[in-house]
Amino acid sequence: MTLGGGHINIGPAGHYRFVILGMPHKGRKELTPMDRILRVNMSSLTATFEQAPERYRNLGGRALTSTIVADEVPATAHPLGPSNKLVMAPGIVTGTSAPSSGRLSVGGKSPLTGGIKESNVGGLAGQKLARLNIKAIIVEGAPSAREMYVLKIDRDGAALTPAGELVGKGMYEVDRRLWEEHGKVGIIGIGPAGEMKMAMAGVSVNDMENGPGRYAGRGGMGAVMGAKGLKAIVVDDSGTRPLRAPNETAFREATRKLTNALRSHAITSETLPTYGTAALINVMNEAGGLPTRNFSSGRFEGASKISGERINEVVKERKGEGRVGHPCHPGCVIRCSNIYPDEEGKAVTACVEYESDWALGANCGIDDLDSVAEMIRICNDVGLDTIEAGGAIGVAMEGGLLEFGDAKGAIDLLNQVGQGTPVGRIIGGGAALVGKALGVERVPTVKGQSMPAYEPRAVKGIGITYATSTMGADHTSGYTIAPEILGVGGRMDPLSIEETKAGLSRDFQAVTAFVDSTGDCLFITFATSDIAEGLEGLIDSVNAVLGTNWKADDIVEYGKQVLRTERAFNQRAGFTSAHDRLPEFMAREPLPPHNTVYDVPERMLDSVHNY
Amino acid sequence: MPEQREQPTEVYLYGKLRRFAPQKDVSRDSIVKLSVRDGDTIESVLYRIGIDPEETSNIFLNGELSSLGRAVSDGDRLGVFPDDMALLYKQYFKKRR
Repeated sequence: MTLGGGHINIGPAGHYRFVILGMPHKGRKELTPMDRILRVNMSSLTATFEQAPERYRNLGGRALTSTIVADEVPATAHPLGPSNKLVMAPGIVTGTSAPSSGRLSVGGKSPLTGGIKESNVGGLAGQKLARLNIKAIIVEGAPSAREMYVLKIDRDGAALTPAGELVGKGMYEVDRRLWEEHGKVGIIGIGPAGEMKMAMAGVSVNDMENGPGRYAGRGGMGAVMGAKGLKAIVVDDSGTRPLRAPNETAFREATRKLTNALRSHAITSETLPTYGTAALINVMNEAGGLPTRNFSSGRFEGASKISGERINEVVKERKGEGRVGHPCHPGCVIRCSNIYPDEEGKAVTACVEYESDWALGANCGIDDLDSVAEMIRICNDVGLDTIEAGGAIGVAMEGGLLEFGDAKGAIDLLNQVGQGTPVGRIIGGGAALVGKALGVERVPTVKGQSMPAYEPRAVKGIGITYATSTMGADHTSGYTIAPEILGVGGRMDPLSIEETKAGLSRDFQAVTAFVDSTGDCLFITFATSDIAEGLEGLIDSVNAVLGTNWKADDIVEYGKQVLRTERAFNQRAGFTSAHDRLPEFMAREPLPPHNTVYDVPERMLDSVHNY
Repeated sequence: MPEQREQPTEVYLYGKLRRFAPQKDVSRDSIVKLSVRDGDTIESVLYRIGIDPEETSNIFLNGELSSLGRAVSDGDRLGVFPDDMALLYKQYFKKRR
């Protein structure tokens, strides 16, 4: 059944043309990039294109998903109910030739945290949606029967078809079958965990080899997609071309600056393509901040065995399909991904990156890289957030369900998640649920979401971000561009040290919210932190697309507005300052090797969002 | 432990700097053990091992991100990363001088 064609898309006078969707685009001239919203109603099984409201004009990525969620989802909605919505949006520059800019934001009310969620992913789909002039997809309602559907989007419109034999299948098979049927399309999908509406279910996006390992992993957006009865979205951008900015000359100059910065900075041009993000395993271990055995130590004696250096060596030794310096989407100049090979050189999964490697490795006391890679493969197939999966297994080990270091047991648990056994469903509910089921106090979560791979007792600043992020414990909320480059030095010269730290976290969170809205990969900030021209390139590439004239201060304000929107939603959902806290055990248990506790005062945490 | 004063300083080397250690396998720790002298700094220890500080990036002394001029004592642990292996959210780490 083909649904949703024939709607008339009307833009502001002078800038847009009438476009009849669902009809051949004969005589179509240029649309301003990404002016359409595709609304998919799963109750009526209709898909309609709408003109994006003018007030969404400058919004993309996270700014857009969070604004739409705040506008359209009642904050008290049940995350798995028909009032919640799943919103996806490519970033402002996604689909253009800007380097490393293929990010897609996936938002909604989170079944894991109960608050607003934006989860950010690479892979093929973001660029293709943008090139189809789709600014956002809003999936709403819920099917009356327990049916699953596939949404196909192409130049001619959008259509829903029953998912048929894809129901219950893992993402490797789903991606393979959908490419067989549709060619080299972008695929956004959920595995069995999403179908079972587990709180740690992520949303997969395929990569250039059609592997499913790009995940909007955090916060259970896969469960929301499952609750909508949507197994997959097929994005076919055949016949489209990379988007051009209205001011293409300025855009090219800006992206040249950004590309130069990425190609000259040691982290983005050497460390990440050579060792991947897992280079951090040894670095954080030396820093005494690599959470080990469910956050009971900051050093792991097996760190070297699961390090980025070891991954690089395994790829070289085993040859075959293994690869480092692997891009997750076309046009990435950083290429931090890898393809991890088995002993015969056959690809196990892409990719073994720092968070996954740590979560299923050090955090579970597991130092066998092949086992870690196998666990990541299962997560990618079943459709799980690897951070939450490792967090949940770590708590299960703490609770005595299995021993720390038991790789076979951990693999079995992940397989049980995919099978939906009772134990598997508890694990699939996330670390906090496992803690409740097993009577464990040492549960490293904030707002119900597992902490990532930086120990807050050793790295106190990131603890402020974990505590106060609108997303729950989230390292990607606090990537940063150096305050001195941003020219926010005045605010860095405060009355007290405490306010400085709070101010730093505030600015980090604000800038991150902006970058998450551009569609640029957050890793560009390693280069834009140090290279002023790179930061100019980042901001001016956005200016050239939007016709704005933003400077550094403006992007901080843009980010703050995103945070205000998210905070307001969370407050309406019942969040208070009591939710902006780290778990109590961190204030009581000293963490080796530094033997420090988390002692950042509550008043500092509460001052982060004073703006 | 009275013998603690005589504990050597351990320098953990990573990446291409492992070539300065007897054990170079990346799956294990590559450690250079040495006794420090009065007035030794991270920089002088590196030179003694044969490492050009230009070839380094993140350096940790007892788990603290540190600059080259910091004093080193017996029993300290140094972790030294090469210039192609830096990867920190540096804003979160205060460099000790």
